[in-house]
Amino acid sequence: MLTIAIAKGRMQQDTLALLARAGVRVSAEALASRRLAVEDESGGYRFVFVKPADVPVYVEHGIADCGVVGRDVLLEAEADLLQPLDLKINRCVIAVAARGDEDATTRAGVLHVATKYPRVAAAHFGAKGVPVEIIELSGSVELAPVLGLSDCIVDLVETGRTLAENGLAVVETITESTGRLVVNRASYQLKAEAVGKLIKDLGRVVAEGGAQS
Amino acid sequence: MEPLSKIPGGMRYYFGREARLRRAVETAAMSVFDGWGYEEIATPSVDYYALFERGMGHVEARRAFRFADTDGRLLALRPDITSSVARAAATLFANAPRPLRFCYAASVFRQLPHSRAEWRRQGRQLGCELIGAGGADADIEVLAIVAEVLGRLGLAGSCRVTLNHVGVFNGVAEQLGLSPEAREEMRQLVDARDAGALAAFLKALGSHDARAERAARLLRLSGGREIPGAAKKLLSNAGSRATLDELEKLLSAVETLGFGEGFSVDLSDVSGLGYYTGLVFKVYVEGAGARVGGGGRYDDLTANFGRREPAVGFVLDLDALTEVLARRDFETENGADAPATIAGKDVTERFREARRRREQGERIKMD
Repeated sequence: MLTIAIAKGRMQQDTLALLARAGVRVSAEALASRRLAVEDESGGYRFVFVKPADVPVYVEHGIADCGVVGRDVLLEAEADLLQPLDLKINRCVIAVAARGDEDATTRAGVLHVATKYPRVAAAHFGAKGVPVEIIELSGSVELAPVLGLSDCIVDLVETGRTLAENGLAVVETITESTGRLVVNRASYQLKAEAVGKLIKDLGRVVAEGGAQS
Repeated sequence: MEPLSKIPGGMRYYFGREARLRRAVETAAMSVFDGWGYEEIATPSVDYYALFERGMGHVEARRAFRFADTDGRLLALRPDITSSVARAAATLFANAPRPLRFCYAASVFRQLPHSRAEWRRQGRQLGCELIGAGGADADIEVLAIVAEVLGRLGLAGSCRVTLNHVGVFNGVAEQLGLSPEAREEMRQLVDARDAGALAAFLKALGSHDARAERAARLLRLSGGREIPGAAKKLLSNAGSRATLDELEKLLSAVETLGFGEGFSVDLSDVSGLGYYTGLVFKVYVEGAGARVGGGGRYDDLTANFGRREPAVGFVLDLDALTEVLARRDFETENGADAPATIAGKDVTERFREARRRREQGERIKMD
């Protein structure tokens, strides 16, 4: 049996939809319950639903053989994992955003950056040779420039609506992020057949147009 | 002040059943090594940082605990044993007849773990180094030793040893004419098994679709005996094809000799390319979330110490093996039964009896 850790929230819905198209079904009853671990109808898979940042942790330790999580989380976690498949769900960008009326990122001196992605932000500005002070927040990052805590933010942007509502605009896109299938290195070898089948089945569904079509 | 009860992160005690198990696993491995004629070598626990920088490459060496010697030179708590053994081979054993066969059970220290799953900062390596012998025979020998240790530990049916040859990836990279940076980028994509990104990377290089597609398919191949043959069909460069021949021979030898159970080929295993020069392998065991060992051929390492010669070796991670075996009722001979207690009035009598019974192999505890 393969254990798969899935990031809770939208990723969970989209992943289950992809899996259903690949022939892996979880009963409505199991999903309606508040259980954090459910099995599929064939008994070949066990799904655990955890916070996005915890997905790489479970997979890296081999407690879960596979995981589904956004690339944004993986970049930040710097986890030692295999990433065999881009599921092309939950497409977002990690971007630098600042107040629309003035692009504060061009200001000389130290740039104050509020973010949930300290590593990604530090690497991005580091590569450009811009000295930054990273201010790590755990939510509502858009507030920071509005209240004057920072000059700009580095955050995940899906539609840009939250940014606009807070008077912010994207200054620069750092990278794209989509949902990824990740696999533990040991499971990839020891459960090669089951993991290979999952990659193939999901790969086929993704190539056919994903969960939506 | 920090309370004295606190233990530094990544450090721990071993005692009771776990300590006995560790001892039993180490003894089993060392007796296998001894059976193959490998001489135990103990290397200095503290050595110059420069040794490890040369021996492991600077990225790996940076993970070491470092401190200054009285003359200001940088020292390190050894993060690895192979570097030191390679130096000894080129210096202390410069005139000894080849090949040299060394084995060890030794602690290594790493300040920075490689991943979050690698919690420990002190580990114990069980390893062998076969220096001064090139060719398939030497490669087969170390693989046979690994298989024998796994068998001795009762893990033969639940392990997987993946084989690869660095020449496969290097041949492809050379044919594509990659810069060092692009080569490293491609290596990381292959290592992550990121098929989509690899295909995009190859396409962006401007290599025509069919060739990019072939390279992407090739580097994803893994499986059994059929892999080298399947890979050869996707390859046109002579260098890579020759290494696949070597891999094929190795695999069939391993199978003919009867210890091939659990052996497979994984052309995506491209870690340590700067270090290894031929065969590379990794050892996985059911119940361990990360690999429990690995090794390969490192013909360039000894050149750092003034004498280039072929060498092949491996290490197994004692802590990881013990953790797996602790959950598996692995029997240890020592300390399995609680010691008997001798009580009585006369001290001399008590000690005399204890000595007599201990000589018969009993465990006796004085009351």
